[in-house]
Amino acid sequence: MKLTVLRWLVVISLLFGSALAAARTRPRYGGTLHVETRTDPLKSPDGIARKLLFDTLTQVTDRGEVMPALAVSWETQSANHRWQFHLRSAVHFHDGSPLTAEAVVQSLSVACKHCAWHVRAAGDSVIVTSDTPMPELPAELARSVYAITRQDDNGNPSGTGPFRFIANSNGILFLSANDDSWQGRPFVDAIEVYGNRPVRDQWLDFSVGKTDLVEVPPELLRQAQQDRMPLAIAARPSDLLAVSVSAEQIGDEHLRESIALALDRAALFNVIFQKQGEVTASLLPNALSGYSFLFPAAANLSRSRELRGAQSIPLHLSVDSSSAVLQLVAERLALNLRDAGWNVRVVSQAANPNAELPLRLVHVEAADAASALQETLDDFGAPAHDEGPDPVVLYRTESSFLQSHTVIPLLYLPRAYGVSGRVQNLVLAPDGTPLLANVSLEDAK
Amino acid sequence: MRVREYNSPQRMTSPNRLLAWSIALLLSIPSALALNSWEAPSADLARQIAALTGPGTITLVVTNRSSIASDDVAVIRRALERELRSAGVIVRPKNTDSDVRVTLSQNMQGWLWVAEVQEGSETRVAMLTVSGATASGAVSPGPAITLRANLLYAQNDPILDVAVLGTGNEQHMIVLDPAHIRAYMSTGGSWQLAQSYDIPRSQPLPRDLRGRIVPANDHLFDAYLPGIACTATRTGEGWTMMVACSDSDDPWPIGSQKALYNSTRNFFTGVVVPGFGPKLPPFYSAAELVRTGGTAFLFADVNGAVHILESGSHKLMIGARDWGSDIAAVRSGCGSGAQVLASAAGSPATDSLRAYEISGHEAITASAPLNFDGAITAIWTSSDKTSATVVVEKPQESGYEAYSVTVACSH
Repeated sequence: MKLTVLRWLVVISLLFGSALAAARTRPRYGGTLHVETRTDPLKSPDGIARKLLFDTLTQVTDRGEVMPALAVSWETQSANHRWQFHLRSAVHFHDGSPLTAEAVVQSLSVACKHCAWHVRAAGDSVIVTSDTPMPELPAELARSVYAITRQDDNGNPSGTGPFRFIANSNGILFLSANDDSWQGRPFVDAIEVYGNRPVRDQWLDFSVGKTDLVEVPPELLRQAQQDRMPLAIAARPSDLLAVSVSAEQIGDEHLRESIALALDRAALFNVIFQKQGEVTASLLPNALSGYSFLFPAAANLSRSRELRGAQSIPLHLSVDSSSAVLQLVAERLALNLRDAGWNVRVVSQAANPNAELPLRLVHVEAADAASALQETLDDFGAPAHDEGPDPVVLYRTESSFLQSHTVIPLLYLPRAYGVSGRVQNLVLAPDGTPLLANVSLEDAK
Repeated sequence: MRVREYNSPQRMTSPNRLLAWSIALLLSIPSALALNSWEAPSADLARQIAALTGPGTITLVVTNRSSIASDDVAVIRRALERELRSAGVIVRPKNTDSDVRVTLSQNMQGWLWVAEVQEGSETRVAMLTVSGATASGAVSPGPAITLRANLLYAQNDPILDVAVLGTGNEQHMIVLDPAHIRAYMSTGGSWQLAQSYDIPRSQPLPRDLRGRIVPANDHLFDAYLPGIACTATRTGEGWTMMVACSDSDDPWPIGSQKALYNSTRNFFTGVVVPGFGPKLPPFYSAAELVRTGGTAFLFADVNGAVHILESGSHKLMIGARDWGSDIAAVRSGCGSGAQVLASAAGSPATDSLRAYEISGHEAITASAPLNFDGAITAIWTSSDKTSATVVVEKPQESGYEAYSVTVACSH
């Protein structure tokens, strides 16, 4: 845990440097970039294509600073109950229609059906109001879930991003450079994303030069390093592995604490994930909060047994059965729980949507601690926090939520990619998403 | 009504900052300077701890989970003990009223110091965000000549070019960024913003944006961006600048030549006026090198090759394979009298600049690399040709820095 941020930065620079050793300083235009992913690049919430097609009103740097994107400025009134965002002028969607306040309102209304806030157009700006204060709204609106989208006349996705949707056929998403992008035309002419592709197939294609960018899941990161695969690794781990505990089905807080104390995070970290990422009992990675060590992560079997007492409710630990590594994690956690005297069975999440203990892998996109905490709390169905970015307040909010033991954070895992030698200037967003608009190809003509 | 509006943050160069950078580039920062910076945060955290414990006795454990050096941790501990004592809190090895654990942690924004105060079964927490600086670039010792970098200006927004106009007390610094031309006035050893001009644009600018400031004889300067040309003139008695920008494909000056720039890309088209006869291939950068026997025109084409045109002959440069795509020529009085500065090919995370002597059509290394902890995004020869303006993007700090790089003779 010590020097986590520094260690990650060093890893990035070393590995990234090796990946791009042949690069020239200035990017070249042209060429087609080939990318493969395990998920649907468009439909998946953190799909790689979303940041290529769509823009958000704001963006957040890796230092947590909120910067303009489709909104050039914003102001708040009424103690953060009302925000006004002024839109960038002369921006057009890929279908040619202008970016208007009405279009933004429509997009945000669809994205935020269950949000506590209301959005309306006012000239060339949009106004967001809420009964509760929203101190972190500008940072929250940088999340891709709030990307400004619309559909063109053919029902295809249309955004203002650096790439246009061309087609989605035979499992391949075809994108082309948007010459009119307000951030400037991207360097590559086109991107082809082969979605829903198993990692083994991605690596095979990579080894024969059929693709430029493949995923390297954390459990295979050490192997990729040993194989000298050129890698880009995110600056911080961004995927939270956690067990949810249903408070409805396990109403006794002591029993939930017993479950939490039985789980051995170190074994998962050392054995399954080969010491990649970080052990955590916190909702935020230490790189974002700086205080995750305040949450004790060690298992305590004797205390777990003590808290369980004579209770022997049968438990179901549900897992996404399409993921072999998550299946392995679940089996390991079930062993821990049995050691503490629990009667537990690993089941498929699809077949058992109401299991007491769903194992979850949650992607945290937000780049600042306050928004990331909000995002994580949203993901676990917890109430919003409205207090702003003070670390002491964030710690108290998180601590208060975790004391209910309805969520047991286990590990924070990194995102990494294998990168072909012809790819230049690949930078990963703080959450590990590759920023492909800035990529250029060494052999572009 | 409380209004919080976005304003692009800027890091101004103060005399202290300039001094610190200059020292950092030539020497290592004396550790004593760094140690003094822990006094204030230590006092702040001690006050927070004292507010939680009240006067009495405590045990104190300080753990370092950050990039703070171990020597500094001892300094911080001593400062904490001293400040706690002055607040009536005495640190003892055992048998105390409270146990205090201080963890020096860090996150993406900087250092975070966390104090856990345990009294019985109750633990209370105090935290302090501590801002800190990062390391600077460094110069490696050079074999024949030495490159020296002086920080001109730093800001969060991209810098395209910087030019210092005038002399003595009448100096002004012009900073070109994607949206503005800003003039700074030298006041009391620091640069104060005097005027800012918003650059109008009718089309999106290219992603790898480049721009250039060229001082003029009959007016203040011209500024060039892809598809845009600006002219700045002086009005009135004082140093009041009037800027006029318009859509334009006017060629950009490179020495005695002028080269057309592709308004939607990041390179020159290859059309050069008055030129050398046939059209050149598209190129990223060029340098005009005055030497015995004539003037040579070097250019780095978009395919990575460096060419030299001299006395009607066109050859590929030898010894330029590890050059990046940005080059500039500088008069120095060292060696042959003028050298070419070239960025390095390689990783964009860190970058370096090196001086080369040009012998015939061969580049010979003349200096050790001048290292920067960021990517060089621009190199432009200054108007008096004795230095080059080098812009470095520092992703770790989300900022840009412009340096004036000169060549010094080694003895």
